[in-house]
Amino acid sequence: MSAQQKKNIKQIFFPESIAVVGATRTKGTVPYDIFENILDGGFQGVVYPVSPGAHSIRGVKTYKYVLDIPDPVDLAVLVFPSSVCELAMDQIGQKGIKACIVISAGFREVGPAGVQRQARLQAVAQKYGISIIGPNCLGAINTDPGVRLNASFARKMPDQGSIAFLSQSGALCTAVLDYARGKHIGFSKFVSFGNKMDISEVDLMYYLAEDADTKVILIYLEEIRDGQALMKAAQDVIRSTGKPILAIKSGRTQAGASAAASHTGSLAGSDEVANAIFKQAGIERCSTIEDMFNKAMALAYQPRPKTNKVAIITNAGGPGVMAADAVCDCGLQLAQFSPETTELFKRALPATANIKNPVDVIGDARSDRYQAALSGALADPDVAGAMVILTPQSMTDIEDIALTVVKTRGSNFEKPVYTSFMGEADVAKGIDILLRARIPHYILPESMATSFATAYRFEQSLKVERRPAPVFKDVDRARAQKLLKAAEGKRHLPEAEATELLAAYGLPVLPYRVARTATEAAKAAEEIGFPVALKVYSPDIVHKMDVGGVKLNLNGAGAVKDAFENMMAALRKAQPEATILGLNVQKMAPAGRETILGLKRDPAFGPVIMFGLGGSFVEIFKDVSFRAAPLDAHDVSSMVREIRSFPILDGARGARKCDVAKLEECILRLAQLAVDCPQIQELDMNPVIVGEEGKGAFVADARVML
Amino acid sequence: MEKSEIETRVKKVIASVLGAKAEDIKPTSNFIFDLGADSKQSVELVAAFEEEFDIEMDQDQALGVQNVGDAVAFIANIVNR
Repeated sequence: MSAQQKKNIKQIFFPESIAVVGATRTKGTVPYDIFENILDGGFQGVVYPVSPGAHSIRGVKTYKYVLDIPDPVDLAVLVFPSSVCELAMDQIGQKGIKACIVISAGFREVGPAGVQRQARLQAVAQKYGISIIGPNCLGAINTDPGVRLNASFARKMPDQGSIAFLSQSGALCTAVLDYARGKHIGFSKFVSFGNKMDISEVDLMYYLAEDADTKVILIYLEEIRDGQALMKAAQDVIRSTGKPILAIKSGRTQAGASAAASHTGSLAGSDEVANAIFKQAGIERCSTIEDMFNKAMALAYQPRPKTNKVAIITNAGGPGVMAADAVCDCGLQLAQFSPETTELFKRALPATANIKNPVDVIGDARSDRYQAALSGALADPDVAGAMVILTPQSMTDIEDIALTVVKTRGSNFEKPVYTSFMGEADVAKGIDILLRARIPHYILPESMATSFATAYRFEQSLKVERRPAPVFKDVDRARAQKLLKAAEGKRHLPEAEATELLAAYGLPVLPYRVARTATEAAKAAEEIGFPVALKVYSPDIVHKMDVGGVKLNLNGAGAVKDAFENMMAALRKAQPEATILGLNVQKMAPAGRETILGLKRDPAFGPVIMFGLGGSFVEIFKDVSFRAAPLDAHDVSSMVREIRSFPILDGARGARKCDVAKLEECILRLAQLAVDCPQIQELDMNPVIVGEEGKGAFVADARVML
Repeated sequence: MEKSEIETRVKKVIASVLGAKAEDIKPTSNFIFDLGADSKQSVELVAAFEEEFDIEMDQDQALGVQNVGDAVAFIANIVNR
């Protein structure tokens, strides 16, 4: 049994008895409304108001203390002011109640005094083994007819449905409930988890994985404390149950990126990393509440499309073309109708209709034409799903068409149907019919296409085979640790040590020697073999190129000697305070494509690996991808292929393909290094020169920040 | 003023404002948790103490007082200053 399962979450959603601890008779206050909402929501169990100052509330006898309640209680809902929550929690514990929703605010969210108050409350809860939602939350809702629990200060109980919503923000919940009510969107569970003192979104995700009423999980997050746990929970839930998880993560910020000392640090802003890691975990990140519910409707209401082939049915040419454009932009395709379907359309639709995809049933179409077009399209073997567009023209029988769509979808339930009745006032009744029948509706055809694509991609993602990545046994972990220990207290490893560190993990560094004089440099170059590069070796210089500390492609001992003398003279003049230990003489990499491999330790997600096309312009092009380590085989393969410029590595325009297999091995070795060596805060290997297929990859330069 | 007198008068005010029974008002009684004061009643209590003892109390400090015994000490400190 996992730690999450040990928490008493079931008692929170399925209590047979509830004590509202701190209820009052004063209408319009949170303590009163919570009690009232439990009653008015139609709770199927017993409710005990605990209110030291009242005899009864709404005709229900009150108790001075929770300990005075004569019967066992499953769930406490704590609504006292924060100053006495600790006292109340102690009695809740003495009463033997193992689950509690702490609605009260005034804890971690109000600063240091609140942090201490929350710590004291947590200590009491832990003493008695009480599982807690909150504090500082809206509460929890379970629409199951056998329970009907609205232990929240949301005005109305939402409809029953198959979507679970988890939110860190309480106020947002009320807005979401109102939005959803307008669209007849129902919920299975609805939870505001506030300060997540005990039960977090991770615990709730595991619980909802087992919840038979929940098909889709939505999460609103403001802060990710344990990104690695979140990622693992999402992967576990999605892979074991096939339930999609959609999330909004607010608080996008560039803070932190600006202070970075490496290319990876600079490019790996918190939002870019969150984006990439949500994707890696299989979470669909949404930009707005509307976007989230658009996609949730597609995933919760409809079967998921088996292929990306779409049929569009419209009564207006323009919107049909807009939808077709959106379909292509989303990576979907227009289905090719079979001769039988084409023949059927010829018979059923007027001669002026467009019987190719998008099917234009013409502006004067009534429900019979929509019925013929939609049922014909859904029966076509190349069609994975249909999008129905309607514009309200004077002869359009909107409600009949909506009913026809509902009926036709009902008889072809294996394929999804999405709708866009464009407009607002005239189409309102038709939209209402569709939404009540659980047919996703979108104001814009573009949103419809995006949602179709999301459902398709999710279905495809479930088919991806997940194989663990190889663990390299040839790494010299002890050597790496020795190098890092020797560098304790320093900000970065000098290049020689950095190169040695990478070599210890089997990364293909180029041979080099440290030379202190021009003669030593020439001798080293002859031993290594020409051409060579010279690079300044100094603990004080990180960006060697910026200070003229790099000279490439030197052929012959004379050229090496001259370059050595010139560089040393220039550096002493330009960097008089830098300690220069000499110059590294390094073998030049064979010809190939310049890529960058990097590592950044993210405060929430731990070690994050970056890959992109590299060189001096990496921060300008920003064509990079991220994954959290450890990586599996799919992660490394997908991160290499998702950059826009991957075709350059894959033999674009007649060029030879690069050694992508070796590149992937390098990424995996870097990920292993990242997991093994938490001392490394940032690391750049830039460039990593990737040769032609079979010719390997070479780390030409590296920077390791501690 | 004797502390016992202050305590008696404090209890009288509490009983009047909160409608609590005299036997329930003990030095350790928490205004919210034991006597059921809500935020409005807490403000009314402060005003009633000021009137009863003809004193002025710092509102923030007064509202921070949690139980009856502390209220007696808080008021005694002002009255006997």
